[in-house]
Amino acid sequence: MVLCIAEGAKAMVPQKRPRLGSKSGAALVPDEGLSDAERMILEAIRSKENMGIWTFDLKKLTNLPRGVFDKALRLLQQKGLIKCVVSIHNKSRKMYVAREFEPAKEISGGTWYSQGSLNQEFISDVRSKCLAQVTRLRIATIEDVWKGIQMSRDSKADFTLQQIKEIVQAMVLDKELEEVKSTGDGDFSAVPAGRPCYRRFERRAPIAGALSAIPCGVCPRISECTPDGVISPNTCIYFTKWLELDF
Amino acid sequence: MVGQNGLKLAVHLITAHLGDLVAKVCSCLLHRGALSLQEVVRFTKLSISQAKNCLLVLIQHNCVQAFSVLLPGSTTKTMTQYIALFDNILHRMRFPKFLMVVKYDLGHEGEVLLEGLLQNGRLTFDQLVERTLSKTTEASASIREEMRANFNNLVHSHYVERCPKPEPFVGPDSEDQSTFARKRRAKTVPILSLEQQVMVAATLSNGERFSEISNGGKMTVDTVVADHHVATFSGEKRKFEALEMDQELQSAITENEVLWRANYEKFIQCLKKKACVLNVRSRLGLDASTILEAMIETIDQENVENKNTVFASMGSIIERVREKPGGISMTLEHVRTILVDQLLCHSSTEDTNTWYTIDLNDIIENSQNEEVETFIRARYGLEAYRIFRLLIKCGHPVETEQIVEITFIEKKNAQEILYKLWKDEYLEMEKVVMHGSGQTQLFLWKLNKRVLREHIIDDMYHASLNLSQKISQIAQQQREVSPHGDKKYQRVKYILQSSLYKLDDALMLFQFL
Repeated sequence: MVLCIAEGAKAMVPQKRPRLGSKSGAALVPDEGLSDAERMILEAIRSKENMGIWTFDLKKLTNLPRGVFDKALRLLQQKGLIKCVVSIHNKSRKMYVAREFEPAKEISGGTWYSQGSLNQEFISDVRSKCLAQVTRLRIATIEDVWKGIQMSRDSKADFTLQQIKEIVQAMVLDKELEEVKSTGDGDFSAVPAGRPCYRRFERRAPIAGALSAIPCGVCPRISECTPDGVISPNTCIYFTKWLELDF
Repeated sequence: MVGQNGLKLAVHLITAHLGDLVAKVCSCLLHRGALSLQEVVRFTKLSISQAKNCLLVLIQHNCVQAFSVLLPGSTTKTMTQYIALFDNILHRMRFPKFLMVVKYDLGHEGEVLLEGLLQNGRLTFDQLVERTLSKTTEASASIREEMRANFNNLVHSHYVERCPKPEPFVGPDSEDQSTFARKRRAKTVPILSLEQQVMVAATLSNGERFSEISNGGKMTVDTVVADHHVATFSGEKRKFEALEMDQELQSAITENEVLWRANYEKFIQCLKKKACVLNVRSRLGLDASTILEAMIETIDQENVENKNTVFASMGSIIERVREKPGGISMTLEHVRTILVDQLLCHSSTEDTNTWYTIDLNDIIENSQNEEVETFIRARYGLEAYRIFRLLIKCGHPVETEQIVEITFIEKKNAQEILYKLWKDEYLEMEKVVMHGSGQTQLFLWKLNKRVLREHIIDDMYHASLNLSQKISQIAQQQREVSPHGDKKYQRVKYILQSSLYKLDDALMLFQFL
């Protein structure tokens, strides 16, 4: 878990991401001593910049024999001139990006993804940091949460305000936090009236949904259930289990 | 528009309460809409007298309303039609709740009178007295006076009303009007269903509906005013005698001939407010619910028209709060903090007094959302719940990629969940084809609150029907196996009945907002 968080934290550090069309990054990479096939593949990958290229497309584009293509690709990877990225759209697809480019969000998924999947442990770590900030402040704007995390000692990563906002919004959807508009009074006195702010979502009693509390509310066959049908409340096994009706 | 499950539930209730024959006629009216007696006879294949009796029973129990319409092609001749009142049929399963409301507000005496009305549908005051006298050995005169006072309390609190017009005339619908006129009307006035039109035509004015029975031969305010006008052109003595005689006659008519019934509308209002208080209690705690209850009581006292918005001064709130258990220990600052920070009331200052406003509809909407979200979470899981909450919050179509990004759900899982929710008709989907460098298909997902509400209501009708059917089955088994009562059967019946009551509480929140 520690490793994953460290990985995620590393990904959070703002890195140089050359703009589309910029060749400055490419010029720094020495490509002397490369075979023609390697050079051809490297150029093709570089031309796609941070969007990367799928092996199948690369093979089609370079039109090299299979053996030569595979060897050149392997050598380029060994020399560290290209890197393999797992696409979030299709985990079985290997995408290649030149070393000097940071894979685009559309391919890698961005900050919250690792190896083509959501980095759940990293996300839950950031969530708990946000929750800790809101708990400490009672009522906090998104800027308060962000600043609190940036200033905290245990934070090894730099987060943008947008990234913290994404996490906090997801926490609101999960009802861990509640978004309210400041009234400018009482607990809200530190926040100007009308500004959205966040507080912990607290319930004195758990929600007991009336429909979800009975078998019919969660029954997968409810659409086939009729009073006199094959599936009916009179013969329903879920009812029998629920009511412990084995007289 | 009531779904099939709602209709089945209504028929089940009538079968259980009034028997198969009446249920047959009721089912016919529910499924086919307004019908004449001849049509009822034709569709149900019952004899005229049977159909007539069934209709009379249904009218007596406020489940059917008769009305007259013009005969097709005629401008003067009318015919009588009968329409089933779906909501009133469903209210039959809420009678125990209605009785509890009155017991809490007016005590046991009020409860007994209401019970008589609920059991018999419609009764005159005399019939109610007879019903009570048959059960007691006390002197009838004292009981009658006491009952009249209790009955007037019920009428004054609007728990009981005079029955609507027996056969109102419902004029031809906008069919005859020009398209332009209809379009113009549609923009300003909501289009009413035939059932609503009939109800509106049958309803008496508020003055008539809640005009109390006079005490010892004195007339109600409205009648005195009306009759005084008639008597003014006679001499003073004659006028007084005529008035006195009229009063006695009127009083006798009111007691012997005026039919009374329970006012369901009032009970639903009460239960709605109770649901708001309960929701706040479970969400924000006892103090917040006590304060909200106090706020609601202030508007009940003042008989404010718009009862969904509560507007109360700090003085009146504090006064009411102090009367409640635990209220005496609440300081002014504590009440103010709860009003502002927890109940999120809007405050304004007028004449050195601070006024607080809260919209009960917001609380009800919150309860509705919680009910649906809990249901979605139980049936489809946590990730579906997150997606659902996002779509409720957005209120506009959201593209799959965007959903994945905001909810932190793997795309594959999100697609599966969205497909399931769409297949079960909880979501709407729109396919958009983008023509750019290549052809891309985008899927937009939207939550239509109106459709969702209807869907959830139908699910609730279905679940209520199933619970009712199971209760009937258990009762039947108990009669056959253990007629003297078995704890197991009683336990099962208790679970089923309490689940049904709870489900009905939730159903009311969706049905009557």
